[in-house]
Amino acid sequence: MSQAILNHAPAAGRNKLFDRVCVPIISLGIPLLIWEFLSRSGLINDFLFPSPSQILGVLWGKSGLQFETGILYGHVYASMMRLLWGLFLATVLGTLIGMLIGLTRWGKFIFKPLLSLFMPVPTLAWTPILLLLIGVDNKTTILIVFIAASFEVILNVIAGIENMNVKVFWVARSMGASRLQIFFKVIIPGIMPYLITGMRLGSGYAWRALIAAEMLAASSFGLGFMIYEASEFMDMTTIYGGLFMIALLGFFIENVLMGMLEERTTRKWGVQVER
Amino acid sequence: MKTDAASTAEATMFSGENQGISGGLSALVQFGRFMLPIVALLAIWELAVKTGMIAADIFPAPSMIFARAMQLLFSTGPEQGMLFRHIGASLYRAIAAFALSILIAIPLGFLLGLAPRIYKWVSPVLSVMLPLPAVAWTPILLVAFGQGDKTIITVCFLGAFFPVLYSTIQGVQSVSRHSIWVVQSMGGTRRHILLNVLLPACLVALISGLKLGMAHSWRTLVAAEMLAALSSGLGYMIFAARSYMDVSTMFVGIALLALIGMLIEYGLFGVLEKKTIRKWHATSKVGGKR
Repeated sequence: MSQAILNHAPAAGRNKLFDRVCVPIISLGIPLLIWEFLSRSGLINDFLFPSPSQILGVLWGKSGLQFETGILYGHVYASMMRLLWGLFLATVLGTLIGMLIGLTRWGKFIFKPLLSLFMPVPTLAWTPILLLLIGVDNKTTILIVFIAASFEVILNVIAGIENMNVKVFWVARSMGASRLQIFFKVIIPGIMPYLITGMRLGSGYAWRALIAAEMLAASSFGLGFMIYEASEFMDMTTIYGGLFMIALLGFFIENVLMGMLEERTTRKWGVQVER
Repeated sequence: MKTDAASTAEATMFSGENQGISGGLSALVQFGRFMLPIVALLAIWELAVKTGMIAADIFPAPSMIFARAMQLLFSTGPEQGMLFRHIGASLYRAIAAFALSILIAIPLGFLLGLAPRIYKWVSPVLSVMLPLPAVAWTPILLVAFGQGDKTIITVCFLGAFFPVLYSTIQGVQSVSRHSIWVVQSMGGTRRHILLNVLLPACLVALISGLKLGMAHSWRTLVAAEMLAALSSGLGYMIFAARSYMDVSTMFVGIALLALIGMLIEYGLFGVLEKKTIRKWHATSKVGGKR
């Protein structure tokens, strides 16, 4: 970053557009073209590496609006719903626990050790237990999403509270703010940027965990289920199509969705709370 | 990657509050305070099972889990040494994948970090690959390689690759051009620059990348083993125990996964980090776990 400025300080402008639009298109396009060519000409195994056009064709075929052929919507919808429910739970409970740890002595006393007890457990290791407790159900995958995302939310909320300046409390209190007012007018806006950061990071982990959990525990829908099922039928084009969708949606969630949320909150509540 | 603030919060979380040198007694009290909620949780759990509030066959009491762990560790029947075989298989896979990712990601990271032009052209490909969970590659690998070590190691490799690569790139890019120019102007060769400027300067980022990579490798391993292991590995052990409703074994496996992960992260890499940071005075900028 810094050396980019040092290297070519002038001649930005037009180059920037080129860098942002053309470079990704070319650098992604050329390998895809080579892949397409190799696969079509039979130089690489077209069973293991079906050509990109074939993959897109399969995706397109699955994305019809009718129910029988429009399976892709069902998979995407199921995965997104699980993710959103899990994220919602993680945000609510994670913020609550984070606040208890950050603001109260007993919360810190109780939850901090428990947090460090559960944090090192790989999220997906819970899947078999949840499968036994709940069975193959949406709840299982939602809980996995919740576990994957909540630690990030909790840690960031704690960090947000720790980075708040005590003087802000003093100011609010000296001007006669009640506890409720302090909570809503000082603490909530103060942790907001951190909470959003936690949600963004958490959503990335959650998406990854969700796909794996769906492979292990989904009943009939979900992108993870889609690719795992396809591997049992050795349906390589569907697997690649699923991978494409997973990458696309993962990128969309982490950068576009959460990025927008982050931008809006930072614009509303100021950039950082370091005073 | 995570924010600085969050990683420091996490650091204090595990180091406890060190209030200077105040003797062994206060450390003991600290430890007791730390353990109290955990012990309480276990006690409540135990009681709930013993009084029949939770069905023991679905949620066994901690004492039953502990007994099962002892049985798995020291039994002399047909199960003898099984647990160690599972642990060994898991460790072998995670470490092999980690070693592979080091071998490929670090040289590539240096290349991309040092050549902005190449980085510009490669980074779109990387940013498309990044949001893909490593486990999502499993179906393709299952078709290509079938079940077994090859698939699992490749998945873990993919899990460890990106953290190591990105930390290396960030580390190399953050080295100031000026210090390279200074060494160059004094007649330093490329080897000098690499060994005496770049390597020490980005070592801290490199080590936190390695830590992150190993953590990712370990966490990915569980899922990969559940999906693709043939007969061994902790993930396999947990998943197989599920079909026998052997919940105690599942909990033993989960506890072991967490314990080994912690040993690697805070034992091995914690020591490594402390040593290098002390030697090269820098502080880690690239942090995080998972």
